[in-house]
Amino acid sequence: MCGAGFGHFEWLAGGGAGQDVGRSCILVSIAGKNVMLDCGMHMGFNDDRRFPDFSYITQNGRLTDFLDCVIISHFHLDHCGALPYFSEMVGYDGPIYMTHPTQAICPILLEDYRKIAVDKKGEANFFTSQMIKDCMKKVVAVHLHQTVQVDDELEIKAYYAGHVLGAAMFQIKVGSESVVYTGDYNMTPDRHLGAAWIDKCRPNLLITESTYATTIRDSKRCRERDFLKKVHETVERGGKVLIPVFALGRAQELCILLETFWERMNLKVPIYFSTGLTEKANHYYKLFIPWTNQKIRKTFVQRNMFEFKHIKAFDRAFADNPGPMVVFATPGMLHAGQSLQIFRKWAGNEKNMVIMPGYCVQGTVGHKILSGQRKLEMEGRQVLEVKMQVEYMSFSAHADAKGIMQLVGQAEPESVLLVHGEAKKMEFLKQKIEQELRVSCYMPANGETVTLPTSPSIPVGISLGLLKREMAQGLLPEAKKPRLLHGTLIMKDSNFRLVSSEQALKELGLAEHQLRFTCRVHLHDTRKEQETALRVYSHLKSVLKDHCVQHLPDGSVTVESVLLQAAAPSEDPGTKVLLVSWTYQDEELGSFLTSLLKKGLPQAPS
Amino acid sequence: MDPGDDWLVESLRLYQDFYAFDLSGATRVLEWIDDKGVFVAGYESLKKNEILHLKLPLRLSVKENKGLFPERDFKVRHGGFSDRSIFDLKHVPHTRLLVTSGLPGCYLQVWQVAEDSDVIKAVSTIAVHEKEESLWPRVAVFSTLAPGVLHGARLRSLQVIDLESRKTTYTSDVSDSEELSSLQVLDADTFAFCCASGRLGLVDTRQKWAPLENRSPGPGSGGERWCAEVGSWGQGPGPSIASLGSDGRLCLLDPRDLCHPVSSVQCPVSVPSPDPELLRVTWAPGLKNCLAISGFDGTVQVYDATSWDGTRSQDGTRSQVEPLFTHRGHIFLDGNGMDPAPLVTTHTWHPCRPRTLLSATNDASLHVWDWVDLCAPR
Repeated sequence: MCGAGFGHFEWLAGGGAGQDVGRSCILVSIAGKNVMLDCGMHMGFNDDRRFPDFSYITQNGRLTDFLDCVIISHFHLDHCGALPYFSEMVGYDGPIYMTHPTQAICPILLEDYRKIAVDKKGEANFFTSQMIKDCMKKVVAVHLHQTVQVDDELEIKAYYAGHVLGAAMFQIKVGSESVVYTGDYNMTPDRHLGAAWIDKCRPNLLITESTYATTIRDSKRCRERDFLKKVHETVERGGKVLIPVFALGRAQELCILLETFWERMNLKVPIYFSTGLTEKANHYYKLFIPWTNQKIRKTFVQRNMFEFKHIKAFDRAFADNPGPMVVFATPGMLHAGQSLQIFRKWAGNEKNMVIMPGYCVQGTVGHKILSGQRKLEMEGRQVLEVKMQVEYMSFSAHADAKGIMQLVGQAEPESVLLVHGEAKKMEFLKQKIEQELRVSCYMPANGETVTLPTSPSIPVGISLGLLKREMAQGLLPEAKKPRLLHGTLIMKDSNFRLVSSEQALKELGLAEHQLRFTCRVHLHDTRKEQETALRVYSHLKSVLKDHCVQHLPDGSVTVESVLLQAAAPSEDPGTKVLLVSWTYQDEELGSFLTSLLKKGLPQAPS
Repeated sequence: MDPGDDWLVESLRLYQDFYAFDLSGATRVLEWIDDKGVFVAGYESLKKNEILHLKLPLRLSVKENKGLFPERDFKVRHGGFSDRSIFDLKHVPHTRLLVTSGLPGCYLQVWQVAEDSDVIKAVSTIAVHEKEESLWPRVAVFSTLAPGVLHGARLRSLQVIDLESRKTTYTSDVSDSEELSSLQVLDADTFAFCCASGRLGLVDTRQKWAPLENRSPGPGSGGERWCAEVGSWGQGPGPSIASLGSDGRLCLLDPRDLCHPVSSVQCPVSVPSPDPELLRVTWAPGLKNCLAISGFDGTVQVYDATSWDGTRSQDGTRSQVEPLFTHRGHIFLDGNGMDPAPLVTTHTWHPCRPRTLLSATNDASLHVWDWVDLCAPR
């Protein structure tokens, strides 16, 4: 049997520093299986530091041999950005699990990222388009709540995480030991995504992001209000608002918000949705609809159009129209395409505004203007002066302290592990979790290993015959007194049974061996051996009130099933030898009697 | 659109900016530490309470390029646990120490905010004279070179304790048993007190107890409860003391003549207040003659007292005044009109931003709001 008793987890973090900039890459060893959770890119670095350091794993051999699988939680680059590097340049051929939307969206973002890094920044040693394709061929897509057998011992299951389209939390299970990895999640529903949810799966360990664990979030309403205010103020003064978006989901949510507001305020300013977005819409429709909520589904009809009253399809020519308007356009980081075109036209007017809804990768125009740059060098050495207002709004949803407590409360793990990139100690949060939720809490630093002992429970079936026999012994079971039960453990076909020895022998076709031990106790006694035996009998009878002590006709004494016989050795008439004999089953009693008798017999009354 | 959404649209016009947070527990405390962070603390009696040091969103501190700071969240910078409920918390300036007071009221707790971690730890206690179980001592801090803690539940138990040596450096030494409702340190040698009855006094600690005070039965004859706050101290003549009663009366007084209020107005509030201990009146640090009041319901009202001098109607009754602004966010965003209406437990002004306030309610919400002065010329 393979090392019963304690399993253990080991966790190594390759996280990054800072809040919006970081990367996730976690290695978990559970009951002999090795799983990599996420494979992110650190966006703050331009050199090899942006990739996780896999050398400490590979020093013992190939990654494919070492890892049982890789799991990607969602399409954000700080969770999947290093995947092609990892699978094609470092080398991994095993399965990569992710949800269907993640599988569809990842390659697009990876390709965008590659284009920016290589074409715009001229970087070498970056993964190629072909590598992205080859990497995605290794992907196995999973559905929510579907138990996926990675091999005959390791299984995984995805749970809805909110946060972004297709984001999932994963449960990894080997036998009775399990780990849940949350990735990024959100506990408050927004207009297009629901809240994360998990059942009371009681994993040994829950691994969760803690970057936002020490925040208390501003309410959704106030964030929306901020967005509406910015848009409203700009159009009121006759300006144009550009909102670069990546894809559906977030964009659609903002549209719903504006639509409701426009209706309420009876506004006539046009709102447009770029065609690039609606084309992608049909493509993703089948994928993302089950992942969003009812409201979103209602606004989408299976034509190339969203069903909005005030929002219309955009035409390039509209960008030159005078007067206020709002335009949603792709791509999201202003690095190419329609959004960049519109930006160039509108940037020179201070009445206009661009609202960046998320993090932009280094090298993009989005990143530059968010860093405060106001003069941009475009193609052909043209300098663009940015006079329009630049607003950075964070719409992506993360769980804060309250959300983490909620999720831990839902899953009921034994221990919680918080992943964070900063070195500062979060002692207060650790105490709070431990006190309120009664779980152990770990907060390792980057590169640190955490080992958690677990006591897996192994179910064993006990045969009825064995139980009946124990009951027949007459003594009632006591909760506080452990009873010694003799049986044979048979392990066959991942099944454990406890049966009586006879049954086991029968099943295995073996004959039983009897073991009997005999011990010699020397007693000082000048009388005959029969009298010694009698003395022994009297002594034991008076001392052992709970046991059945008998003096047999042949002179021997029995204590239960232990046999005592007195003999006289020829060498020394003053010494008698007591032979104490017992079966293997009566070891305890036999040893006890032997020690007792070695102390000697009480003086016989003369 | 639900009423919450309606109010949100209204709010676009009423507020420059607006943040709403849900704390893990309601607070009666909002104490500033520099202009970037506040302390809040729970006041539950049956379970552990948290003391939190919250850092405000960065965009509230930056002057330029605000639009480039997307963060709108509070960051919990430090936290600690208290077995007792906390009704008052004061930060000892230039130190990492806090002093709290709560029920049972037989001692004050001193805390230390850690430097190398995020923990707020209880380090020592200060015993108080008046060991009444149901009264909690008010606290104020003298931020002198050797900080002193002023505390007391009643006039007769007023003391100043040197925080380091724990020696008593001042006592009121009187037998007056009037209950205190607020204490405020004004400078190195002066403090102000306000009794629940409305009696006000200014004390010079260099002398034996001889406060400048109002003894006339004017306010407080009808069983109301009062609180007060002194505004800009030592900055020229004029009424700088505001006194608020649980019947909605607001009096402005000049420290040179505490017996005769400069003006006495009636605020349009629902009376009586459901919990007069929560009454609070504050002067705006950045706006001349502006005051805020709370504690009657789920609103905070801002008043401009510029034209109040000698305000009295012809028949001698107090005149009604209208607030310059009323913050109703707690009712619309959190109340939803179904649960018992929330009650504002405390409010405070931002030390640097003239029209920004923070307010908290008994259902654990905390708002940061920057109201628009609709009367001001654009």
